[in-house]
Amino acid sequence: MDSHTALGLGRLPDAEAAKRGEPIYNQNCLACHGEAGRGGIGPNLVRSVIVLHDEDDSEIAQVIRSGRPQAGMPPFKQLTDAQVHDVAEYLHQLVELAANRGLYKGAETMTSGDPEKGKAFFAANCAKCHSVTGDLAGIGAKYAQPSAMLSRIAWPAPKPPRAATVTTADGKQLKGTLAHYDDFETTLTLPDGSTQTWPTDSIKIEIPDPIAGHRALLPKYSDDDLHNITRYLLTIK
Amino acid sequence: MSKRLLQSGLTTLAATLLLAATLPVAAQQPAAAASPSLDLKSLRLFDKPQDIWPTYNGDYSGQRFATLTEVNQKTIARLKTKWAYKIDGVTIRGSGNPTIKSTPLMVDGVLYFTVPDHVFAVDARTGKERWRFDFEDHGGHVLGQRGVGMYGKWIYFLTPDGWFISLDSGTGKERWRKKVADEKLQYFTTMAALIVKNHVIIGVGGDAMDVRGYLESRDPETGELQWHWSTAPLKMGDPGSETWPTQAAMDHGGGMTWMPGTYDPELNLLYWGTGNTNPVYAGQGRKGANLYTDAIVALNPDTGRMVWYFQGSPHDTHDWDNVETPILFDITLDGKKRKLLAQAARCGYFFVLDRETGKYLVSRPFTDTTANWSLGIDQRGQPIPNPDKDPKVDGSMVNVPGNGATNWPAPSYSPKTQLFYVNASEGYTVGYLYDTSPDPQGYAGGASGHFDAKSVLVAVDVKTGKAAWRHVAKGEGAEGGSMAGGILTTAGDLLFTGDSNRLAAFDPATGKILWSQKLNTPLTNGPSTWTIDGKQNVIVGAGDTLYALTLDGK
Repeated sequence: MDSHTALGLGRLPDAEAAKRGEPIYNQNCLACHGEAGRGGIGPNLVRSVIVLHDEDDSEIAQVIRSGRPQAGMPPFKQLTDAQVHDVAEYLHQLVELAANRGLYKGAETMTSGDPEKGKAFFAANCAKCHSVTGDLAGIGAKYAQPSAMLSRIAWPAPKPPRAATVTTADGKQLKGTLAHYDDFETTLTLPDGSTQTWPTDSIKIEIPDPIAGHRALLPKYSDDDLHNITRYLLTIK
Repeated sequence: MSKRLLQSGLTTLAATLLLAATLPVAAQQPAAAASPSLDLKSLRLFDKPQDIWPTYNGDYSGQRFATLTEVNQKTIARLKTKWAYKIDGVTIRGSGNPTIKSTPLMVDGVLYFTVPDHVFAVDARTGKERWRFDFEDHGGHVLGQRGVGMYGKWIYFLTPDGWFISLDSGTGKERWRKKVADEKLQYFTTMAALIVKNHVIIGVGGDAMDVRGYLESRDPETGELQWHWSTAPLKMGDPGSETWPTQAAMDHGGGMTWMPGTYDPELNLLYWGTGNTNPVYAGQGRKGANLYTDAIVALNPDTGRMVWYFQGSPHDTHDWDNVETPILFDITLDGKKRKLLAQAARCGYFFVLDRETGKYLVSRPFTDTTANWSLGIDQRGQPIPNPDKDPKVDGSMVNVPGNGATNWPAPSYSPKTQLFYVNASEGYTVGYLYDTSPDPQGYAGGASGHFDAKSVLVAVDVKTGKAAWRHVAKGEGAEGGSMAGGILTTAGDLLFTGDSNRLAAFDPATGKILWSQKLNTPLTNGPSTWTIDGKQNVIVGAGDTLYALTLDGK
């Protein structure tokens, strides 16, 4: 889903113009309106009703040209029309970056946590099943983004379908993978690709839990534990 | 004329021109002899007439308990689809096929339901369309639309971009429209208006750009403003302002009012849930409890004056809108008749309050969670937030899922079992802070992952807050297993809700599944029920289709 459209954020800002507008803003506006329009002795411009309402930049342009003498803002007549347009697009871009959470990005590096403590946590809790020279060799390169690594550690759910063994009412055992499983119906895909369906309450089903160890750890982690182990595994490149 | 004039909708000229420019066309069908009309005496706390469904929750209590018994544990096997109405020709901006989240009103044999930008009037006997109203928005979120309100022969509808529209129930013709929220500031309107006496109560949504939440009462005849209640205090020095650091933090503090509340006519109190605080995931610029966001507030419906509040998620940094239905019920405790209110909140706590005073009786987690974002409860019974569990740049794991322990789909309370039923979600989520500046804006963070996810129907004992029984849906993810939609209980000793891609009936006393029927998609609204020609109908919405079920499909 396109988050800009679904959120109803109106016209997309002109990214090129916004890029040109940033240094012009920093030179002329930042002193009063703050870094990235967040406000200072002058008002915040990201939450400004004028900016949010101005679809064609005309109202922003008027304020820049005429100033706000009562509020102590001088006119900025030295800026060209093109520069004014670029500043306006920069402001719209700041709004887009705040309002469109589809564009949000997590940190690329991690600063919390201690890799040495993570190593100790690994030895105590993970080494029974995993090895950083075996199954986890190179994991730090595979999940280089800290939040992706943290998710992988906390919940490495295998890709569906899950394996399962069904015991039917007449005692027959079938092994396969779950194509469908809910309170009413169970459909098993058999090794030959065919499927069989039963009412769920008519069969016994066993589903191995390959991540039982991870499940058991979830209630035990402190955030420090998670940061430590993430920092450690990020070093396993 | 400037665009701003148009958008503000403040001048008659602007409003008139806009009306002329974008007046949508209601299907031109001859009107029925008389427009269906709701007798306002049918709007009651409990015991609504059986042959109508006059407001979002059926009655003012929000119990979604129906006294009908034709469909019961003995007859349920005969329940079959009588008709299905599929929405045609509607595409939702940015997401595609429409999803029915509204609970249809049923008055004088006509059903009224919605999706964003569209109202449908359908014959309750046949499922045939009477009329539809198609609106073209100019912005606003299109996440959902919960339905319409009705007063006499007038229907009230809210659009994604903040238009409050009155329609003739017989023809779908527009009577007037009023601008009630500014979509350019990222407000949007999705709720079903609640009618209380001569007040149309409407709330707003919108948390992308840090605006103020508010609730309004409008005149049912003219749409003019009667009162406006602002979620956060208006100015420093006002009661509650001590829970905010600055005027600017209050002005941008959120607390949207996007779900219909409940009402006690005898106490003349309106009970409303308020949404998450803004900026959503970043609390560093708004130290304090941030009243009256994430709260249940009791308001006088004639004045908008607040009588009491109870804050479910003080200083919220997890997007835990406290808007879930505050259900009203009477019960005898220690030999005394008590007027109470219960809410299963998105933050994972179950609250039981005295609805006259707001004093708490029960406050504890209702799912299998310690609610580790909290450090327990304070003297008022309100959870105490754990600052160590605020979202962090490198992540902080909480044991309530990012979408909440529950969400907007309707819960139910049965006076027969004295149990509160709610579809709940369990598991873990990691909260991230993206905007570390002293004055963050927008969502400023996010919630990632849903580890060890479970979908559970919980029956909560209102006297203790403990689960009387739990039904954990089998299966996960793509396998198709999950609870879905809202809940309805009936005097036929049935609990209707969505389970996987079916409508299912449970035994409300034990949680045993008694019956089910496949739908085209999982249930997406709250089931409702009423009689027509003496026959009990069960009505559910699943994706783009509305179903009516009766015994033997007759």
